[in-house]
Amino acid sequence: MNIKTFVILILSNCSLINCASDSFTEELLIKPLYTDQIYTHFHFSTIWDTDVYTEKFQHTHLFPRALGEIIKRHNVQELHLSLTAGLWRYETWGYPITSAPPGAELWVWFKKDTEDVDKNWKELANSLSGLICASLNFIDTSNSISPEYSFRPNGVINDQYVNSSYLRYSALPREIVCTENLTPWKKLLPCESKKGLASLLNSGYIYNTRYHSLSIHFRPICKDLECGETSIEVKQYVDLVYDYLILGARNWSIRRLFGQGILGSCPLAKSSTVYVDTSSNSSLPFDLSPEPDEFVYSVRGGYETKFAKYEVKNESLSLYASYLENGKVLIHSPPVLHANQYLTGYGQEFGGIVTKVYNNHWNVIDVVVLQNIPWYIPIYLHTLKINSNGEVLKPLFIKYIPGKLRKRPYYVEIVLRLPPRSTTSISVNFEHVFLKWTEYPPDASHGFYISSSVISAMLPLARNITGLPQRGSTLSDSFNSSSGNGYFVQVHTETMVVTLPTPDFSMPYNVICLACTVVALAFGPLHNITTKRLILKPENNERLIDRVKHRLCLLVSKFKVRKIENVEPQ
Amino acid sequence: MGILTDPSAGQGKITKIIIKYYSKISVLMYVGGVMWFFLLAYSPLNAGTYFSENALLPGLVKSEFRDESSARQYFDELQDEMKLYENSIPYPWILAKFQQIGLDTYTHNFTLNYPLGKANIKYAGKNVYGILRAARAGSTESLVMSVPYRPPSNIHPSTASSIAIMLAFAKHANRQKYWSKDIIFLITEHEQLGVQAWLEAYYNVVCGHRGVLDHGDLRGRGGAIQAAINLEFHDVNIAKMDIKVEGLNGQLPNLDLFNLATRMCSKEGIIHTFKGRENRSYRQGLKDWSYAFETMMYMVFTQATGIPNGNHGLFHRFGIQALTLEGISDKKSHYSNHGNLLSTGRVLESIFRSLNNLLERFHQSYFFYLLPSSDRFVSIGLYIPSICLIAGALFLKACGKWFRLYQYLVNLSEHGNNSDHSHAEDVELTSDLAIQENVNTNADINLMQIFGVLFFTHAVGIIIMNSPKVITRIGAEYNLNTETSVYGGFALMFAILLFTPLFVRIKSCYNSMTVLHVISLLELGTVLICLSMYNFSLGMLLGTIYVPMLLFIEPRYCRILSCIQKFIWIITHPLVVLTFIVFIFTYINFPGETFKENFGRSLAATEHALIFSIVDFMIYSNWLYGVVCCVIVPNWLCFWSILFSAPKPKTDSNVTKKDN
Repeated sequence: MNIKTFVILILSNCSLINCASDSFTEELLIKPLYTDQIYTHFHFSTIWDTDVYTEKFQHTHLFPRALGEIIKRHNVQELHLSLTAGLWRYETWGYPITSAPPGAELWVWFKKDTEDVDKNWKELANSLSGLICASLNFIDTSNSISPEYSFRPNGVINDQYVNSSYLRYSALPREIVCTENLTPWKKLLPCESKKGLASLLNSGYIYNTRYHSLSIHFRPICKDLECGETSIEVKQYVDLVYDYLILGARNWSIRRLFGQGILGSCPLAKSSTVYVDTSSNSSLPFDLSPEPDEFVYSVRGGYETKFAKYEVKNESLSLYASYLENGKVLIHSPPVLHANQYLTGYGQEFGGIVTKVYNNHWNVIDVVVLQNIPWYIPIYLHTLKINSNGEVLKPLFIKYIPGKLRKRPYYVEIVLRLPPRSTTSISVNFEHVFLKWTEYPPDASHGFYISSSVISAMLPLARNITGLPQRGSTLSDSFNSSSGNGYFVQVHTETMVVTLPTPDFSMPYNVICLACTVVALAFGPLHNITTKRLILKPENNERLIDRVKHRLCLLVSKFKVRKIENVEPQ
Repeated sequence: MGILTDPSAGQGKITKIIIKYYSKISVLMYVGGVMWFFLLAYSPLNAGTYFSENALLPGLVKSEFRDESSARQYFDELQDEMKLYENSIPYPWILAKFQQIGLDTYTHNFTLNYPLGKANIKYAGKNVYGILRAARAGSTESLVMSVPYRPPSNIHPSTASSIAIMLAFAKHANRQKYWSKDIIFLITEHEQLGVQAWLEAYYNVVCGHRGVLDHGDLRGRGGAIQAAINLEFHDVNIAKMDIKVEGLNGQLPNLDLFNLATRMCSKEGIIHTFKGRENRSYRQGLKDWSYAFETMMYMVFTQATGIPNGNHGLFHRFGIQALTLEGISDKKSHYSNHGNLLSTGRVLESIFRSLNNLLERFHQSYFFYLLPSSDRFVSIGLYIPSICLIAGALFLKACGKWFRLYQYLVNLSEHGNNSDHSHAEDVELTSDLAIQENVNTNADINLMQIFGVLFFTHAVGIIIMNSPKVITRIGAEYNLNTETSVYGGFALMFAILLFTPLFVRIKSCYNSMTVLHVISLLELGTVLICLSMYNFSLGMLLGTIYVPMLLFIEPRYCRILSCIQKFIWIITHPLVVLTFIVFIFTYINFPGETFKENFGRSLAATEHALIFSIVDFMIYSNWLYGVVCCVIVPNWLCFWSILFSAPKPKTDSNVTKKDN
């Protein structure tokens, strides 16, 4: 017994000595949306007071070592990865804490001293694909861009000027997210899914949702307000949107959402908290049981939000919300900025992409629209039309890098000043391309994906906004954090499926048969013509009977000769 | 290959056979083609339907829909609501129901600027749709369930029960977590116009003439539409489910979708019919064949008009596989509780769950087929030989005429060379007397003139195609209504164009006219083949009507024969054919009326038919009218001129005889 406790003591001392400078917090936010959905957001953040440039990631305590090694090896300064199933409906749900497009999205800032960014990018994508079992290995230079305005570094940087040639952005809209990604993702957490809030992530429950998104965000941050030294931070999010209709009833509980109650906090966590957004309580009142430990009021951008706060201790917690009345239809006002995207035209020759951006604000809003269009959908820039409420809108700035067949995607970034209360449509035409037959995926007739466009803006209001401020790393940091510059939001639109001209792969047998027949038929005469000498044949005007007679005579004469031959030796 | 490498192919045996027997062989080919077509309905010669797409997994899941009571409640509520709206959709009620169910709800406005007549007449319409957002996907793909709304004042049977079942199904479906494609529930106004406007708005394109249909804009979309099911249930209790497939311009949905619908109806025990006819087996070859052939001919007639027989037909153009389920109430048999709302709901559930399973677009199975019954089909490989034989008869005739002309020219030159020295003076003398012979002996093929004729006739076709707007404007000035002015205008143009041959200067030149004849034959043959690739029924019907006439038509010396030919050819003018068919149909449908009543009714019907085809052309771009104006009428005019041309000179027959 003594030896055991001794060993444990030594071990814990070791870890204290080496890595006492890191901390882990876990938070869960539950927010009933105005529609028939409920939004839950898991927020795990690990902060380690070490310098991203010098740290070797040889020994880590709470920080995921597997991720650290990859970061070190590929010279990564900042990394953002999201894997999402379903589409976040901005118009009805408001804004999420982090926005993510359907499928996989990865954007990475490399350090200034990186020699070959493209090589590192490719290798990083491959390593990450091994780390979280996603097909990120399909990321390469042919579908990556370096956006100039939409993706700025989130963390601390050394100089004032940022060079976007160290940035790589890519999205794989076809990527399907499932348990195989969740399991390795959970292993990056200090307690994995054994203890704490992460134990709620039961794949049997969290996939019966309308939206579900896993993400990993790594960045260097300031250690303190003076920012003399830097720390590194890794945040892991799970965003889920449940539907009451699928759940069966409006009254929700932790048990109903996740299949089990909270069995206690993660022992390694500095704090473990559950927040319930009760601002919708004023219109659709609900009772929480047990009573929250306290209510937290957050005033942000002129809007007050009320959160019920539960500290998770080392005992089980079963949260339950019961609605007091039922059957109320709420009038919901859409958020300030939202967008959607769709294809126009039909047939297999030409098509168009339209992005519609809605500004519901009473004032102008400046937005950046980023489109990353794959090389097999060549767009024509001269067909780019921007209309706002029926009038032509001149963009403030357009950055366009044309794609190259099989080498580089088409990259368009448009800076727009949206007029107040307007609907702006950005349309561009494209042509369908014939691919090589080996370039088609196994399900060729499914269609080819165009990834969602990204619309970034600084909003003057914080209505519906729950995103973290740039300095914040936990949810509690976002409370009462008004900002003079506005609130940064990103809106991702739908992904689109376009059908390229597809050969009939289902009939290889027929094709082979036909091709072989044609070759065989053509080969005979061609061979004859090229190999045989042409000799003029004397015209034969004999009748059939004459010919037969002639043949017979020949035969008879031969027979006679043979007879003579046979006779002679005797 | 033997033919390719034989250097003497031009003068070979085949040429001689063609020259000698082409008229007989072409008649044989025509008869063979028609016989082939007739035999297609014989069940040992066609194939049974089967599922090609494995991903559909039809009927694999247990039907869970059991919300019959809410369907019935929706139906009763809608019946009350409909009384308040005489001429339009009860929008507020439908929007409220969609919202209660939890769908994203939108409306869509459109305007039709009626293209004919004097002033700008506008018709406005409004569609309502709700989108069920699939839980497992990000709105990249979707399915459509549509219902044409018919207000009580509409002459067509009501579709209220289909709206009720649609709402009940939407309510059930929105609680399920397995959807991977959005489902768009669409209720349209003004029958096909509403669907057309909605689709044009969805894809932001204009299909017909610009400025005719203002399609408006949609706010909500659901990505690429994979399939659409249109519902027309006329009653709560459904005796039979008729499955309609024929779409615009004769396009058909994928056979897998049709199979899916028939199988799911059978699974739920609802009797399904095709063209209003159940599958029957008499166990007698001939009887079976005639029943199947009749069904197939119904399909051919519907397909040939190119007019969709349901709202599904407009989806096909956009690569969306679609069909209509029409529930026919059988008032006589109320004893059966088979086709009630529960079963129809389950049919819909099974169909949509199967479609939900699709991983790729419909690409397996057949897109070109004929159906002699709902469980047997004739694939394109089987039916295309028949039209090839029929059109081939024209090609053969063209070939034969060409060879004959060639031979005639060769003989003539040989003949001319022989007699050149001896008869030089005679020729000069005769040339002054008879211009005709002069032309013959000169043997010049005047290509410029030939192309002039071709250009003129086709230009006339295009002018006719674009004339209705002007005609109706002029007609309106004389206070004629649109129908009469268009029909009158067309008849007048038809009459004027009968004088075209007067202006064809080369009609006395045998050689040039033969070349024109050959070109016209080739044109029609090519058009028939092309048409039948897309709309087999239209090609087949045109072929069976025109080919025997054209095989018979030949400039002749005999006055009586020539007059008979001209008369027959006038009868086959599209305008006359249309009038004739409508007259016959009116006579069959309204027996016992006096001739005068019948005549008036038929004339009005013909005028309406003409207007409908023109309006269809302008709004939906149904190209039956376009094809008739741009190809059939010019071609008809060419042959009309050929009928007035000089027949083969008699001297030449002597020449050929000598040589043979």
